[in-house]
Amino acid sequence: MLRLLKRTEPITPETPDESLVRRAQAGESAAFRALFERHVVSVRRFLRDLLRQGDMADDATQETFTRAHAQLQKLGDHDRFKPWILGIARNVAFEARRVRTYDPIDDEDDGIPAAVIPSPDPEAVLLDAELEKHFTEALSHLSEHRRAALLMRLDHGLSYEEIAEAFDWSLPTVKNEIHRARLKLRTHLLPHLTGGKALGGDATKGRNRP
Amino acid sequence: MSRCGRTSQLEALVRGEVPGPVAMDLRSHAKSCAVCRHELNWLESESSLFRQRAGRDEVAHLWAGVANKRGLNESRPWTRVLVAMAAAAVLALVVGLGGGAAQRNALSPTRAMDEVFETDALMSPTLILDEGEPCSKLPSGVGFSCSQPVPASFIASR
Repeated sequence: MLRLLKRTEPITPETPDESLVRRAQAGESAAFRALFERHVVSVRRFLRDLLRQGDMADDATQETFTRAHAQLQKLGDHDRFKPWILGIARNVAFEARRVRTYDPIDDEDDGIPAAVIPSPDPEAVLLDAELEKHFTEALSHLSEHRRAALLMRLDHGLSYEEIAEAFDWSLPTVKNEIHRARLKLRTHLLPHLTGGKALGGDATKGRNRP
Repeated sequence: MSRCGRTSQLEALVRGEVPGPVAMDLRSHAKSCAVCRHELNWLESESSLFRQRAGRDEVAHLWAGVANKRGLNESRPWTRVLVAMAAAAVLALVVGLGGGAAQRNALSPTRAMDEVFETDALMSPTLILDEGEPCSKLPSGVGFSCSQPVPASFIASR
């Protein structure tokens, strides 16, 4: 009876991940369902960005959460569910695309501009369908690992340390990879950003513009 | 990316991780520093793009696949309510039966005799009379019948 009463503790939007993970590990399906609902949008978007196909992303999302549930007991840091599941998602995506093991040092296909790229007016950035298409395309120009690292940082809010752990990279490597990914993304995005005007005249002065 | 050395601070600013006064200082600095202003513009633009994109996903259909593969057909609140109601009904039944039995016991002759005995015990003459005092000194209606004490000489002769 006590167990029954304990299981009926309400799950609210304020219930922390840590608590949900503990309850899910104890076998409470509703807690895992809550974790799913809380993170599925992120995970699915992350996978869509890596796989670039909606139906593949759907399958990979389900596979990610299926694996997560199967391996949930292994999650020791209960408050780190998000980086943990994004790490699983990354593995699922790379398996699906049969991506080779990545060595950041070998990746010299940058085409990264040495110049400072003119900056847009952030208040004029409106993501319409056209810009979203270009945005997705700009992301696709990044290598899978670099793109995954960038997305974890910019889209999913992970810290550099969490990304380093997920990728098993050193912290300087993570920062360097994200820096390079950012430059490349900006290069591809700039022509399509509304009001893509250079505001920092001093910053671009005397440099090559892309 | 900012050669001014404030890139990480600007990034924290855009992520909302910088306390108010520091944030104001940074924004003030960015107004006068072209390098930082440039970086801040990009960081805010990127953040805006990702944020706008994040609100458009449709994922409601994905749970069924996970639940089927992992057998996660969790008990819904209404099933738990039904279980609780059933448990309460069983409990009520048990209590009801027990209570009924108690009530029947109270009405039975045995129980009535017990109660009389307890009442009489409370009114035991040894609690009221001094040793050797005859019970006939008690007021009438105290719950037991008083008879003349048997003389010790009579008991010894028997």
